[in-house]
Amino acid sequence: MMNAASATLNCIIITDPTGQDPNGAAAGSMSFDENMFQSTFIFSPADKFAILSGGVDTTSTTGGINDTPRLSAVISSINILKANGTAQAAASVANSYTGQRLVVGGPTIGAALTGTSGNYLIVVANDGTITVTPYSGGTAVLPPGAKGAVMHLLHTPGNPQNDNTSAVGQATAIMIGQEIRDGHSATDIMGDVFKKVSIESGEKYGGGAVNIGSGISTADMFTPSELNQTGYPMDQPYVKVDNISGWSVGYPTADSYTTSPIDNNPLQVVYAYDALRSAITVQQTNVTVFSYGSDSPGISATTSQVVSYSVSKHGFDANAIANDINSAISSGLLIGVYPVEPSNINIQTATKQVGVYYTPLTGGRTAPPWNIPISSSLLDTIGNLQTAIGLIIVVLVLFRSTLISSFSRRRKKL
Amino acid sequence: MFIKIRRDTLIILILAFMLILSGRLMTYMAYASSTGTDQGVPISGVIIKGNDIEPTDIIKANIANQGFRSGSYIVGDTLVTSKAKVPLSEAISNAETAATYSPIPGTQLYPISAASITVDKQTGIVTVNVIEDFSTVVVK
Repeated sequence: MMNAASATLNCIIITDPTGQDPNGAAAGSMSFDENMFQSTFIFSPADKFAILSGGVDTTSTTGGINDTPRLSAVISSINILKANGTAQAAASVANSYTGQRLVVGGPTIGAALTGTSGNYLIVVANDGTITVTPYSGGTAVLPPGAKGAVMHLLHTPGNPQNDNTSAVGQATAIMIGQEIRDGHSATDIMGDVFKKVSIESGEKYGGGAVNIGSGISTADMFTPSELNQTGYPMDQPYVKVDNISGWSVGYPTADSYTTSPIDNNPLQVVYAYDALRSAITVQQTNVTVFSYGSDSPGISATTSQVVSYSVSKHGFDANAIANDINSAISSGLLIGVYPVEPSNINIQTATKQVGVYYTPLTGGRTAPPWNIPISSSLLDTIGNLQTAIGLIIVVLVLFRSTLISSFSRRRKKL
Repeated sequence: MFIKIRRDTLIILILAFMLILSGRLMTYMAYASSTGTDQGVPISGVIIKGNDIEPTDIIKANIANQGFRSGSYIVGDTLVTSKAKVPLSEAISNAETAATYSPIPGTQLYPISAASITVDKQTGIVTVNVIEDFSTVVVK
């Protein structure tokens, strides 16, 4: 039996239909329900599309919620998009299943939503006119090249809060429109949508969100850790951070900290919706660093710090980054890898991503081998020989008098 | 003084001490400048290529379960893990099968239709090339 997931907030926002802005397209899912795994916000970094899904097939014979139709719909939708189909075609797949909903979109393909009720299409024209159209049934289409959003919000049975989702949905749709008009980026608006919906309607468990253009996902930050559990409540504090030293601690451990143990600075509380916003937003100062070639503990965290520092000082310069990494290696900050060359550093300036390709040291070494003009095997032999001679001399000296006297006695006998 | 020692004895002892010390230092230098290994090549990193929708972490975890994880090392044609010693070719074919059992998180959909693994015996880098194909995925 498959686990079921019925997302109640599905939202795709496109603020830059040209695909230039690294934060120009975002998608997110959230629900009051359990099992909001990554399958509810699938996305393809290579082909730049996202598929959000949800819905309940009430015709299930077993009594429980049947998740198979949702997954079949998602698979057909993926296949359509992989074959360069339109967002509209990919979303319309949901029509052939009972009670299913598909929300499909990407920065350049536009967005489309097919589902039963509680759907909104938000279009922002170039002159700033905002059009919000509620849909119940059929397919809402945001054509490629247009700024706007598609959103779905419904009340989950069992949510103790009163069903105010139509009012919250409408207000959120208008807020999205206004923020697009005012020039906010899609990932920023997504943070506001999660905040508003989680606080006001109680449909608050993650889920997660993706930055479609730059290929960044919140992955398992907010998803449930086990089957039949809810994810992280998005209206709650997620982490406490010391803004000066960068030290941070997650909840529930964070409850017992008020100041940073490093420098006693007061800690700032970061709510889950803000954590989601900063996780998917590509910022000038916020570099995403990938390290390859070594899985040793500490390598990726330290590399990320060294690279962010280097970028904030010298900008995206492969030579400067390689220099800074090499000085970290020679000072022992990074261990177990060979020094890197500028060609080992791959920079994607548009999405602020830096990849560092390491060559690991072999044999459990921590530092790169020295460059000595003598061959190491010769040095090894001489060294061992010297040690042996030294030890022999020590033995000879210890028994000096005995040896000399026995030697002279033998001479006397002769 | 408790021990009476002749001066030339002392000089010889110091000489022997210096010989041993410099000898040890030289063997350390020999170790520090050598590039070879005696204990086999450790698995240093796993690189996953070819996946799109399937998260890399899931595939990585499956490969790690077949022995390609940090702490394992390669001696000749054998992969030595913390649990067992297996022939490298067997470990690779096991891991190739394991990679195809990588589900989309929260589902039983397995989009990886095939995987091929190459292991660099000099550097210990494991490269996993996967083929992600949604047209053959079976929804149960």
